[in-house]
Amino acid sequence: MDAPLLRIEALTKTYLLGGRPLEVLRGVSLDIAEGDLVALTGPSGAGKSTFLHLVGTLDEPTGGRVLFESRDLASLDEEDLARFRNETVGFVFQSHHLLPEFSALENVMMPALVGRRQRAEARALAAGSLERVGLADRMEHRPGELSGGEQQRVALARALVLEPRLLLADEPTGNLDPQTADGIHALLHDLNRSLGITAVVVTHNEQLAVSLPRRVRLVAGRLV
Amino acid sequence: MDQTTTNPMSAAPRPVAPVFAAGSFALGATGVVLAPVVAAVLHVILGDRFGLPAGTATALSLGGAALWAIAGGGAAAAVGRRLAFYEILAAALVLLALSLGPVVLLLPRLRGLPLPLHAWESQGRVVLVVGLVLVGVASGALAFLGSTLSYLFTGSGRLDPSFGYELYIARSHIRLSPRMLVGLFLIVVTGVVPGLLAGVAWSLWRDAAERRAARRGEPHERPRLPATMLMTLISIGGVATGVWALTVVLSVMSGFEADLKKKILGAHAHGVVLKYGQNDFAEWKQVMDRVRTVPGVAAATPFLYNEVMLSAGNNLTGSVLKGIDPATVGGVTDLSRDMEEGKLEWLSRPSDIPESRRAQAKSLREAIGGREDVATASPPPPKGGAAEPGPERPREKLPGIVVGRELARSLRVGVGDAVNVVSPFGDIGPAGPQPKSRPFRVAGIFYSGMYEYDAKFAYLDLAEAQRFFGTGDSVTGLELKVADVDAARPIMRRVLGALDGYPYRTKDWGEMNRNLFSALAMEKIVMAVILGFIVLVASFIIVATLVMLVLEKTREIAVLKSMGAGLPSIMKIFVAEGIVIGAVGTAFGLLLGLGTCLLIDKVGIPLDPEVYYISNLPVLIEPAQFALVALAALALSYLATIYPATKASRLRPVDGLRSE
Repeated sequence: MDAPLLRIEALTKTYLLGGRPLEVLRGVSLDIAEGDLVALTGPSGAGKSTFLHLVGTLDEPTGGRVLFESRDLASLDEEDLARFRNETVGFVFQSHHLLPEFSALENVMMPALVGRRQRAEARALAAGSLERVGLADRMEHRPGELSGGEQQRVALARALVLEPRLLLADEPTGNLDPQTADGIHALLHDLNRSLGITAVVVTHNEQLAVSLPRRVRLVAGRLV
Repeated sequence: MDQTTTNPMSAAPRPVAPVFAAGSFALGATGVVLAPVVAAVLHVILGDRFGLPAGTATALSLGGAALWAIAGGGAAAAVGRRLAFYEILAAALVLLALSLGPVVLLLPRLRGLPLPLHAWESQGRVVLVVGLVLVGVASGALAFLGSTLSYLFTGSGRLDPSFGYELYIARSHIRLSPRMLVGLFLIVVTGVVPGLLAGVAWSLWRDAAERRAARRGEPHERPRLPATMLMTLISIGGVATGVWALTVVLSVMSGFEADLKKKILGAHAHGVVLKYGQNDFAEWKQVMDRVRTVPGVAAATPFLYNEVMLSAGNNLTGSVLKGIDPATVGGVTDLSRDMEEGKLEWLSRPSDIPESRRAQAKSLREAIGGREDVATASPPPPKGGAAEPGPERPREKLPGIVVGRELARSLRVGVGDAVNVVSPFGDIGPAGPQPKSRPFRVAGIFYSGMYEYDAKFAYLDLAEAQRFFGTGDSVTGLELKVADVDAARPIMRRVLGALDGYPYRTKDWGEMNRNLFSALAMEKIVMAVILGFIVLVASFIIVATLVMLVLEKTREIAVLKSMGAGLPSIMKIFVAEGIVIGAVGTAFGLLLGLGTCLLIDKVGIPLDPEVYYISNLPVLIEPAQFALVALAALALSYLATIYPATKASRLRPVDGLRSE
């Protein structure tokens, strides 16, 4: 069998809080194959967000390795990391983190512009991505003029605009009512099926977790 | 637990560039340390080999050295793929150590070498040290500028000069509406206080409107100015004020300098041809013919130079007496144009000189039988009676003399009055050498506008002067006018070449007035440095503004980084903002400076001519000077962005994301 898309080996993360070490991850090992749709669940403070950040190279592990296609992400320098985040990873944050001064379309264009695509190309990609999440008629609205579900869908469109191979979503439905959350879940399934995107979704939502093909539970910094 | 420490499972640490790289240091030091050398060498090559005018040669050599330093810093950053700050700092320290140690200590012993530094050294050790420190700082700053530019454009590992989405983001950070800019411009134009008062009035009016709306229960939204927006406007105002002050003060100083230059060049020649040895320049006519054929020479005239005493009645003053050729002097100096009363030609035709008003009044009184002690009108009779001509010679036969306005005033003479010229080198009398004295009649009074000239200079016809001083046909030298004043030095060198050198020598106006002009240049540099501090302070405000913006935008920076924005890319956002602030401020400042200069020029600020010897504040708008000020302001604004931009780019994405 081929090497997994993502191999996580004995990942640890320790923060210093007021001079006292706080162990958030205590050795997490996990293989994720291409096309996997993984639900990461666990109580608050179990280290789920930290785990996503480490996998997405937004933070550096204290120990252990993250291998993407057998390549150790720790061996990349700052600029290679930036390229990796731009081309390979898509993030959806818990509180969407859209840029409030820009319209939905501009927000979704942003990763393409960061990747130095032409403006027209970025616009076309962004329009396609917004259409995919069902927001074709909301492109010129600013985040403040959108509902919570719409904002989260814009965030999803932004994460997917460059069709990354890995989608990391941190409680994408955490702040949403059940119906809206269901819509987002359906969207995730669709995307996984149609684009073959590998996704790791942190969620508290049992319903969503159950619906995903693979479930991983993190408790107190360890997988159980 | 052992996981907290680095365990064998952990892979090789992330490749981090070292803080100090030898290669970067070598390149940076090449740029920083050799830049002054490049400037000196270029100056010698351009000025002496190619004979460019001094100003052009200086500008080109400084520009070349600046490019050298920028290139060195750029190479250092490109090799290290970092800003190479510490390497360049170390290189600048090396330069300072080299210049302050060996140069300051050894320079006085190297007087024989034609080092340009001797000009500084001759003005004192403090000037030398301060000058060298400034050179070191400038060289280091330029290299750092180059390194940051190079990092911004190549730091991502490939050439990436675009400011695509970065400008997009930057624009969202500082939204400068035209209305806001106009308001700011008006505040600065009106001298801050009236503008601020108007602003306060406007905000009170708005408060009142808000209260009214609240009473009526109408909805009312009051637009608020965010803190960073206010800071942005303040920084723009600061840069504008600095640029304004710099351009206006430097233009006025240029005005004084140009006025001085005009007066000096009006009263004096652009260059002189002299001969080693005394009073044996009898072949001047042939020399003059040869000199006139040298390209660049516009006119030539002979002169005889002596220092004498002038007396009229009881009034006595020392004077510089020049024998001139009235026929050709007009081509070289402005003397004939500066004549206030009388005519220059009367020097050679003394019989045309009219009678003095005093003599006219006297003869009139005699004709009507009046008495001599009746008070006459102007000029008031000097104590002890007017300067009367020697009784042994009829006054019509007296040769003419032209004196300056101040000289005429202190001698209390007018056109037609007699003046005694006393030369210490006289005939041998019974009791040894005795001073020679001879009366002349004032043929004219000139006003050059330079107090020193108007109070010291007197002119005779060349032939009269030769007769008076007994020099035969010899002259002191030739005065030349050249086609291009700024190229006087190379033209005079060509003249010397045409005369085969010794026994002739030449001097141009710059050499003749070196002290004056180098003092003016020094004054201007000191002024520029002092006023430059305003711009420096403004650039500190830019730093503060951008640091605030970075803190306000940590989340946005983190999000952009999570999308794959690299370090140089994040830096570009804040660099662009600083440059926009600097550019808007500079544009305002230039507009204000230009407006003020035009106002001074057209409307005029009167000065007391008795004190300043100039009736209006002079101003000279030099585009190059404006451009230099703008460039300096932009460079400072740019450098001010580097610290906040670096801070922003080094933020860890998690920190921005977690702070919710």
